[in-house]
Amino acid sequence: MNITILNGAPGNGRGTTLRAIASTIADEARAKGWPAATFDLDGLDIKPCRGCFACWLKHPGTCAIKDDEEPIVKAIASTDLIIWMTPVVFGGYGPELKKALDRSISILSPFFTKLDGETHHKRRYSRYPTFAAVGLLRRVDQESEEIFRRLVWRNAINIYAPAFSVEIAYESEGPVSLGAKVDRLLERVEVAA
Amino acid sequence: MKALLLIGSPRSRSASESLGTYLTERLAARGWECSRAKALTVTTSERRTDALLADVSSSDLLVLAFPLYIDSLPTPLLRVLQLLAEKRAGGGRRLAAIVNSGFPEGAQNDTALAICRRFAAEAGFEWAGGVALGGGGAVAGKRLQEAGGLVARVMEGLDVAAEALAEGRDIPESASRLVSKPLMPSWLYILGGAFGWYQLARKQRALWHLRARPYAR
Repeated sequence: MNITILNGAPGNGRGTTLRAIASTIADEARAKGWPAATFDLDGLDIKPCRGCFACWLKHPGTCAIKDDEEPIVKAIASTDLIIWMTPVVFGGYGPELKKALDRSISILSPFFTKLDGETHHKRRYSRYPTFAAVGLLRRVDQESEEIFRRLVWRNAINIYAPAFSVEIAYESEGPVSLGAKVDRLLERVEVAA
Repeated sequence: MKALLLIGSPRSRSASESLGTYLTERLAARGWECSRAKALTVTTSERRTDALLADVSSSDLLVLAFPLYIDSLPTPLLRVLQLLAEKRAGGGRRLAAIVNSGFPEGAQNDTALAICRRFAAEAGFEWAGGVALGGGGAVAGKRLQEAGGLVARVMEGLDVAAEALAEGRDIPESASRLVSKPLMPSWLYILGGAFGWYQLARKQRALWHLRARPYAR
């Protein structure tokens, strides 16, 4: 199973814990024999989406902006498991992860279909990766956690994830507790995959 | 009283701007002074960032108007909100939000509104509520008054929202219901959407590549 990690750790003190978790996930995945690639998004040149729809209508499947996003979209289209990692910001994703996600809509078709009574974009590709998300909170925050879990669930529908899993971590947690969460996450996605 | 409209769409003409403009015009008709800023340009220079912070601090109401991106807010708007939260720029001012998406069901915007509400709490704003429009493509950057009868209920809902905000009340549920009511049956929206995409792709000479899979393994 190939793993791609989109690490949205910010380039400040708050990124340290997320980077440590990303590193643990990659190490444990490799120990299981799963090739793992990590994109440290904070250091990448990814410009904001222009909302031009060229990736749907002009050169379908590829973005008009040529920067560090292209290998990420390629990876999403070909990996078996994608892991999004981010500080939880107002219950959602931080801008480092979000800038990469906003630019990835070319993995879907512009056309619509119905899924469980709701309208969503059709698939572009025949298969999509299993999806996991790790959100890091400064402290226990029930409302942010609920929004984050709902957001991941909504995204999982839209990106046709065959299965998805969410893990919330806290900055106050020690390495043993975080390591247990990583183990739990990988076990769940292994079962799902 | 002053209101600042913060537009989250990166496009030069957008449904977000149309919706936000309509709401702030209704406030202006009630004597409010209204200004606007675009999230995409706010953080491009220190001068612009300072100008936004000054605009926020002199306003009584901040209105966010944005398109749904990945079930959430576009990154440039998110960056501005992070900045406002770091500065605790709310100072008890009121915050309202208008979100629109290409999906016909307004309910798909609920997570984005929840994020706005959470931002309000963290940045010191008082959450005055939000409205969510599905099928934002029907507006397509036109003035709502020129977008046709399809958006009559949307305007009615924004009228109700503006009246409440002008009087210092929260946006009532009736306004949210009016704005989020589907503009047309979803089967018609899906059909019309497909026709629209084909037309646009034909103009780009990409009609035969719409289902391309450039990165398929």
